[in-house]
Amino acid sequence: MEVLRLPLSASQKGKLISAGYTSIASLSSISPSHLALELKISETEALEILKSVSNGSRLESTSNSHTIVNGAQSAWEMLQEEETLVHITTSCADLDNILGGGISCKEVTEIGGVPGIGKTQLGIQLAVNVQIPYDYGGVGGKAIYIDTEGSFMVERALQIAEACSADMAEYSPLYRKGSQACEAKMMQPKDFLENIFYFRVCSYTEQIALVNYLDKFITEHKDVKAVIIDSITFHFRQDFDDMALRTRVLGGMALNLMKLARKFGLAVVILNQVTTKYSDGSFRLALALGDSWSHASTNRIILHWNGNQRYAYIDKSPSLRSASAPYSVTPEGIRNSASNNKRIKNT
Amino acid sequence: MTPENLLLRPPHTQYCTLGCPILDAVLGGGIPCNSITELVSESGCGKTQLSLQLLFTAQLPRRLNGLAGSSLYIYSEFSFPNRRLNQLVESFRSSHPILFASYRDPRDYIFTRDCQTAHDLLDVLLLLESRLKNPKQTGLDIKLIVIDSIAALFRSEFENNAGDLKRRSSLFFKISSVLKSHAKRFGIAVVVTNQVVDLFDGNEEGSGVRVGNLEWLYTSGRRVCPALGLSWANCVNSRVFLSRREVVEGVENQLPDGDCSGFDKKEKRRELHVVFAPHLPYSSCEFVIRKEGVFGVER
Repeated sequence: MEVLRLPLSASQKGKLISAGYTSIASLSSISPSHLALELKISETEALEILKSVSNGSRLESTSNSHTIVNGAQSAWEMLQEEETLVHITTSCADLDNILGGGISCKEVTEIGGVPGIGKTQLGIQLAVNVQIPYDYGGVGGKAIYIDTEGSFMVERALQIAEACSADMAEYSPLYRKGSQACEAKMMQPKDFLENIFYFRVCSYTEQIALVNYLDKFITEHKDVKAVIIDSITFHFRQDFDDMALRTRVLGGMALNLMKLARKFGLAVVILNQVTTKYSDGSFRLALALGDSWSHASTNRIILHWNGNQRYAYIDKSPSLRSASAPYSVTPEGIRNSASNNKRIKNT
Repeated sequence: MTPENLLLRPPHTQYCTLGCPILDAVLGGGIPCNSITELVSESGCGKTQLSLQLLFTAQLPRRLNGLAGSSLYIYSEFSFPNRRLNQLVESFRSSHPILFASYRDPRDYIFTRDCQTAHDLLDVLLLLESRLKNPKQTGLDIKLIVIDSIAALFRSEFENNAGDLKRRSSLFFKISSVLKSHAKRFGIAVVVTNQVVDLFDGNEEGSGVRVGNLEWLYTSGRRVCPALGLSWANCVNSRVFLSRREVVEGVENQLPDGDCSGFDKKEKRRELHVVFAPHLPYSSCEFVIRKEGVFGVER
């Protein structure tokens, strides 16, 4: 009983317990006059008891706090948590900058763009980068890659893994944290491939079944830190006799993915296609799957061309400022743009 | 549901050679299996020529970078190009005398089918599935499907209004989904040819959006973009653009006293460009169409 731990006299504790106040929570919202009446003590004494209760609770750790609703967190705790959020680098410094360090774990990020802009490339880069060991400033996790379109080519993944491995070897003296005692965890390109759990789905039913199965899979493979779906749209753009069914199914899937991200603290990256939308008398590019889908992801990034340069633009994010950054797709994967006249726009 | 072990896969995807090392180099080895490659060009650039060539190279054994399989050629535009096929049979036989000896006719391993509409195509693909699941013992398995061309299938049924375009778009995804499913299950390379439409300046529609490595696609001096729009572009894995342009090579028949300026010697130059592909950087090469087939030109 928490009350016993309070710095009160034995008789005061006895009176509290016999009146039914055994936990601090029960004393959190009571007024001194009411307590005085219940315990048959003076009001000043009741006030003193309540003061010591609130002092005591502040000294206790924040984890077993006296919350009213089970599972709720105070905003202070959430801030503490957010400051320890990890990010997965995209290997492009400009892009990492506008993302606040990279793709954040514990959130669902949606990335959309025209064909050929580099969505699959970014997906593969993230599947490789999530594996960068903690010693090198990475997350040290494994990746699940769900391929719905058949764009994942093993040789390209190997190429990107080789470049990542070479980068790690080059920066090895700079990155190694801690003492010399920690072994150099030199990852070979084959190791990178081994840590990508690759699923190929050929229909929307397979896709839904797989997303439902992910909870069980990740419980068994706790080191998965990234789930990449390339692309989430493909199987849903066929004819659905019942569009309401499609919306419900998509909504369910979105909810599942958000739960996964929060529960296991991993980054969920969904790649989306673009479509043309007719609004205000002109055609504009919009992400596929309609307006109801735009609530599925926490962050939305749109990849587009501007002249001869690829740009990534933050379309929606609760915590990041709207900005765009240039990037390029090289044989090594996603990297900084090489051009001299690139502009990082903060809009 | 178990994930696929990426290390157990063959270290590289299976490719079907195009029959020319220069063209193969541009495409990273050839046409990849388990994916849809689109050949886009205006008419008369060489899509059909290249497709016919693939019908033969697919039959080559693995050690020669073929797929050791038969091919299915689905045509929708013109009648089947028999004459050209026979020419290619002759040239193939002469370049691979042992493999294609007189008793082994490469035409036995080429299946053809004509299709008029998109629904025809879906029916054919459905029938194909049962055939692919139970291959006949005598022939080689089908390892290459060519659809020449996909644009023609959608020409007649659809008006230019929102409802029809949406219906057309769902058909794209349905067809692409079935093709990719076959490609994955049976290790097939799929090649689809597409036409181009002219692009006018100030075009507000989505067809003006840049897709891929080239800012604009030019052929015969016109700015074009692939038919079927942005939706179809999302349905293919790789896109290759064939272009044609006239280049003035020099002046001929110039008279010695310089009175007459002579004739400009113009040459038709054909080029192949990688517009987008998940495994290839941008590259291009020049090619020629000869009696023996389509060949790249060394730079």
